[in-house]
Amino acid sequence: MPRILLVEDNEMNRDMLSRRLQRRGYEVIIAVDGQEGLAMAQSESPDLILMDMSLPLIDGWEATRTLKGAVETKDIPVIALTAHAMSTDRDKALEAGCDDYDTKPIDLSRLLGKIEALIPRQNETASGGGTSS
Amino acid sequence: MNQVPFVDDIETYAQDIVDTVREPLLMLDTNLRVQSANRAFYETFHVSAAETENQLIYQLGNGQWDIPDLRTLLEDVIPTSSVFNDYELEHTFPIIGRRVMLLNGRKLRAGSHSAIIVVAMEDVTERRQAEADFRAIETYAQDIVDTVREPLLILDTTLRVQSGNRAFYHTFRVSPEETENRLIYELGNGQWDIPALRTLLEDIVPKSSVFNDFELVHDFPGVGRRVMLLNARKLQAGHHGALLVLAMEDVTERRRVEEAVAKAKEASEMANRTKSLFLANMSHELRTPLNAIVGYSEMLQEEAIDRELDSFSADLEKITLSGKQLLALINDILDLSKIEAGKMELYLETFDLNALIDEVAATLGPMVENNSNKLRIERATNLGGMRADQVKVRQALYNLLSNAAKFTHDGSITLNAEREMMDDVEWIVFRVTDTGIGLSPDKIVRLFQDFTQADASTTRKFGGTGLGLALTRRFCQMMGGDVTVSSTPDKGSTFTIKLPAVVRDVKAELTGDIADDDGDSTHVVAGLDRSTDPVPEPSTCVLVIDDDPLQRDLMRRFLSKEGYCVRCAGSGEEGLRLALELLPIAITLDVMMPDMDGWAVLKALKNSAVLREVPVIMLTMVDDPARGHTLGAADYVTKPVNRRRLSTILKRYSCSTADCPILLVDDDSMIRASLRKLLEKEGCRVTEAENGEVGLASMETQRPSLIFLDLIMPVMDGFEFAQRVRRHPDWRTIPIVVVTAAELTSAERHRLNGYVENIIHKEGHSKDKLLRQVRAALDNNAVPRIFAA
Repeated sequence: MPRILLVEDNEMNRDMLSRRLQRRGYEVIIAVDGQEGLAMAQSESPDLILMDMSLPLIDGWEATRTLKGAVETKDIPVIALTAHAMSTDRDKALEAGCDDYDTKPIDLSRLLGKIEALIPRQNETASGGGTSS
Repeated sequence: MNQVPFVDDIETYAQDIVDTVREPLLMLDTNLRVQSANRAFYETFHVSAAETENQLIYQLGNGQWDIPDLRTLLEDVIPTSSVFNDYELEHTFPIIGRRVMLLNGRKLRAGSHSAIIVVAMEDVTERRQAEADFRAIETYAQDIVDTVREPLLILDTTLRVQSGNRAFYHTFRVSPEETENRLIYELGNGQWDIPALRTLLEDIVPKSSVFNDFELVHDFPGVGRRVMLLNARKLQAGHHGALLVLAMEDVTERRRVEEAVAKAKEASEMANRTKSLFLANMSHELRTPLNAIVGYSEMLQEEAIDRELDSFSADLEKITLSGKQLLALINDILDLSKIEAGKMELYLETFDLNALIDEVAATLGPMVENNSNKLRIERATNLGGMRADQVKVRQALYNLLSNAAKFTHDGSITLNAEREMMDDVEWIVFRVTDTGIGLSPDKIVRLFQDFTQADASTTRKFGGTGLGLALTRRFCQMMGGDVTVSSTPDKGSTFTIKLPAVVRDVKAELTGDIADDDGDSTHVVAGLDRSTDPVPEPSTCVLVIDDDPLQRDLMRRFLSKEGYCVRCAGSGEEGLRLALELLPIAITLDVMMPDMDGWAVLKALKNSAVLREVPVIMLTMVDDPARGHTLGAADYVTKPVNRRRLSTILKRYSCSTADCPILLVDDDSMIRASLRKLLEKEGCRVTEAENGEVGLASMETQRPSLIFLDLIMPVMDGFEFAQRVRRHPDWRTIPIVVVTAAELTSAERHRLNGYVENIIHKEGHSKDKLLRQVRAALDNNAVPRIFAA
């Protein structure tokens, strides 16, 4: 089961996204700020990281830069989640080394498409999402 | 003793003296008969001795001396006193005209002669005239002074008041008597004894003959606090000697208004910032709970579908849809507020139109089907891409199509997209045609207004915020285009969006995008990759931007002598303004300037479509190679290197084929390793070098097709490496991609694509050498001269 690290400080967003991803067959582990996110990326070796950008302690850009600069974590794909569809946020995310980005509110099917593009599932049938947006 | 000849001698002697005197003299006996006159008398009054001697004075010259005043003098004054002085006689003589004479008289007894009266006549006609003229001039000057509405004081060199003007007396409520001949500091009980004024009058005035706009703030007991601008001139005023004219302009009210304006401006800016902040916060605060509502209802809906709770699922879908509608509304309102506040910005990128249209069509699919409509898409085969704000183009298209879907039932909706040439500009034209309810002319008029649907009842019937079309129009206009409509009621409507194929960001060009410059990013500047934008009619001037007036002057004189027309700006801001105004043929730009330095100016210049082609010659004294050199770099990437960016670059330089030889010059082995991995994944053959020297050596054996170059390295840094590569005849065409640790925003990236023509280091150069380099740089850029030097 692919393991996704969700780094998100908003409790409801965390709860919602983690439950919806679990429903789609992902194992979801949670970090509530950038610092915890970095620690868990090291210790838990997730297959993919969903990174909120405005995080307490260490923000998402900084955390991604750190991840991408470290040998052990630099190959883990990171999808940036930005609060609003600001092109500058998007660019900042990509410049920080994020592999992709998506905007909140989450359009689940779109996000699933992006996740699957980065960690293709071998033995499972493509689950409900598709990339219809 | 023979006395007679002696007396005769004396008389002759006296007559000689008398004749020598230049004033006319008359000698009368006590009967007022002329004894004799002197030569001056005869000459002055054009008479002969024969006509004169032994005549009664009143009979002389046909009675012209019969003057009442003279009679008074001779008949009343003389008998009672032996002398009179400066008796002024004004009389018009028939031949010689009007004369003013001062008469001086003596009664003498001369030896054996009886008493004689000597009348000396001093002709003061001209002196009196000059005096009268002078008085008239003084009156005239005083009249002028009094007419001036500014208070004036005229002081002598001891700072004593000679006079004031009416405005002075009026303004300070004093009389001339209280003022004249007093020391200025004593005026009005010492209210003018102001330290700043003392400084001015005692320190500044003695050293210079003029001062302007010396600002004096003082609380005057009589008239209250005043702000005055003092202007003074030292004058040499004839017999008055040196005078100081002190003019006082009362600017109290002006200053008060200026302060009020500044305060109001600050307050409004503050309010505007508050509003922006409020909007940003609102945006976040409104969206967060809505996201939760939408998210949880979607989640429950998925759950309901899984558990086959169909009735729940339908209701949950309504909640989701309503939540999404509310979100869209909030976004629309925020967008409109942003536009109103001038905060809406364009993010220009180049994108593929077919992909955009497919995406919009897919999103709208369900909505089109809801009303049993058919969506047809017609696109020109040459549609290709456009440069615009993709998000806004998408939203504009989406708005038009969703409106069409909303107001059409069992009909068809057609999206037509093509390129059109108009006025030598390429446009992208989208037409959205429906077979819906259509619009009457009066409804069309109100269509694009904020919060207006064609009909208030429409809102109830069809939903929607009424903001979509208003926003669509604003977006199109921001991008230099517009949206128009033609419609027939009950037949349908066609909405047409026209946008330039290459949109320009006018706002960013004007502001130069200065505000977001954090000042510490690395700027790689280069001389390649110039865009092919059309250059407007150029002016003929070289613009010199330098904060140092000496440098500016030097440059102006030098360039003028060289035959260039020169304009100067003392600051970056002024420089940008002038540049836009003049469209100069070249710009010399000082790097070190306060407020806005040369780099910020350069960025703004290169970010402007109209100015980016203007050759810029940087004059620098800072030894800052990371910013300064002309690199001839083709592109750059930032660390950590983004895979997609890398792949784009490889494609751009035709290195996406297998075995493409690539040289990687970086002293950081980690970076080299990770970049190598990425490049090898793309099929490239990578050679590594840990510094420029090693890099050059490796190039002797293997000529790379593309070079990735770090700038800061030991032994030989990237700048020197790049220079050497550029000098080598076989290597100079190899594209160099700079690898920089600096974070650059996407917008900055556009600006960095290399525009600086040359960089000249001021340090260590003689003035002449510097100027020669400037001239060479201008020549290299074929900047035309106005005349042959």
